[in-house]
Amino acid sequence: MADAVKLSDGELAPNAWIEGVESTEFKTLIDAKQRSIVPMIVIYMIGYMGLSILAGFGRGLLGIKVLGAVNLGFVLIAGNYLMSWMLAVVYARISANRHDPLVKIVVDKARASGAAR
Amino acid sequence: MNLITIAMFAAILLVSLGITAWAARRTRTTVDFYAAGKGLTAAQNGFALAGDWCSAAAFLGFTGLTAFYGMDGALYAVGPLVAFCTVLLLIAEPLRNTGTYTIGDVIMYRMRQPPALAAAVVGTIVINLAYMIPQMAGAGVLIKLLFGIRYDVSVMLVGLGMIVYVAAGGMLATSWVQIIKAVLMLGAGAIILFLALAGVGFDPLVLFASAEAKAGPAFLLPGNLLKNPFDEVSLGLGYMLGLAGLPHVMTRFYTVPDAVTARRSVIWVMFLAGAFFAGTTIFGLAAVHYIGPQALRVGNPGGNLTLPLLAQYLGGGKETLGGGLMLGFVSAVAVATILAVVAGLTLATSGAVANDLYVNLIKKGQVEEGQQVRVARITAVLVGIVATLLGILAEGVNVAVLVILAICIAASANFPVLALSLFWRRFNTGGVVGGMALGLISSVGLALIGPAYLGANAIWPLVNPTVVALPLGLLGAVLGSLLTGRNHEHEKRFGEVKFRIQTGLRSNR
Repeated sequence: MADAVKLSDGELAPNAWIEGVESTEFKTLIDAKQRSIVPMIVIYMIGYMGLSILAGFGRGLLGIKVLGAVNLGFVLIAGNYLMSWMLAVVYARISANRHDPLVKIVVDKARASGAAR
Repeated sequence: MNLITIAMFAAILLVSLGITAWAARRTRTTVDFYAAGKGLTAAQNGFALAGDWCSAAAFLGFTGLTAFYGMDGALYAVGPLVAFCTVLLLIAEPLRNTGTYTIGDVIMYRMRQPPALAAAVVGTIVINLAYMIPQMAGAGVLIKLLFGIRYDVSVMLVGLGMIVYVAAGGMLATSWVQIIKAVLMLGAGAIILFLALAGVGFDPLVLFASAEAKAGPAFLLPGNLLKNPFDEVSLGLGYMLGLAGLPHVMTRFYTVPDAVTARRSVIWVMFLAGAFFAGTTIFGLAAVHYIGPQALRVGNPGGNLTLPLLAQYLGGGKETLGGGLMLGFVSAVAVATILAVVAGLTLATSGAVANDLYVNLIKKGQVEEGQQVRVARITAVLVGIVATLLGILAEGVNVAVLVILAICIAASANFPVLALSLFWRRFNTGGVVGGMALGLISSVGLALIGPAYLGANAIWPLVNPTVVALPLGLLGAVLGSLLTGRNHEHEKRFGEVKFRIQTGLRSNR
């Protein structure tokens, strides 16, 4: 890229990333992210694709009345709204409390050892 | 009634043009033009994302689908919220950290080979045009209906509006047009929700029971619209992964200063747009309850006027001041909605043409800053003219197929390429080209021989081919990578990409 955007995005010396990627701090960060993100992905994919598949192939099941005229299908739809909002809040909290401090450690270290500017 | 709509719409137009004039003075560099100087806050970008993602299909369409087809309408509405889970967990922060203005930037940064960028440009342009034409056609129909202006003139007026916003004010003006539209849309939604629930003692269960009693026992079951079970699965898959491949929404993450703000803006849009989507299900049921399933279909065969009709009823009915005010307000917001979405699409398409194709691919990045901004503005005008002409030609064409197609291509071609570029070490230029080609061809091909286009003579049974096209796109991406041989230098550099994805730090060279 010819034009360098210098905002909060920092630049590093050409090979500083090698040390960065292999540092224990970076590996800790990746581990922490995978531990929280992968289960969340599994949850919403099963929750939402489960609903979509039942909408196609489990039409009788979704028609079971649960609360007055409201059937299981609408309960699961409401469940998908709640699931998405809960995941959003949980991910925001985990990121702010656990991931962001780890990112800061990695960034500070990389800047200290390999900053070009 | 027309006077109220015209007055309200004129007010919205005046405010947005004022903002465009203000933004034009602040748009000097490419980062201003494409990314609003990267200075939006999380809340601002959250509202703008809601403005971008809630097209007329969401504002008018979901309510109409629920009123006509019951649960399938509600399934159409919940998907666009779940779609943001994918964006939040996998795409938003890495995209913000690795790209500059476009999705093509990310692909080029990862691959460093012109064919990869060219494939990304093709994907962006096809998706954006497929998304834009139905919006233009919808705007033409709506304005013709509201103001009595001819269809082609209506489309030209919308085209003129979006060209002025984008070419003069760039991303800053486009963002604020979207923010204003989102506030108006959410405001209209809140008023309608309050009035709709007030009529039944704030007990939504009454709406379900009444809608079922009036529209028949099958109304609350799935399958009234999507008869083929696989179409329900396609809808789910397309939404879940398609949003993350839509260039005009994803480029919004370049307008914020860092990945943390990008993440917070997704949280904002999930609550703002999610609440609105949930509201459309209540609106649809309320329309059946208050107006009745038969009366609702009079003069409203496609269902898109259900929300304006409900607003008119809740305001006091036809020939009343309240009813006229509500109808005028909702109609004006609907036109503002379309205008904001096509402006976002025009900007994202100009980014692909001016930044990716002209500056990075043809000129190899050797273009002066001032020249880049000029090229971007000229491109925005040209893209706007092309979209307007296509919108005029699309009169009477079944435009629903194009919306499905845009999301299907985004999920089947763009999403695999983008996700694998960010997370797969072995992924290479062959994979980008393979995934883009197979994803595009299978989406377009299957949609064209399906019932959405050929009706009863369809050769292929599904309206929405995502359930087949997505695995094919993914297969093309994987096979393309594996068959083109290994490049160890390229794979080693994935470490640099990985480091930048997490930290936003890029290597100086």
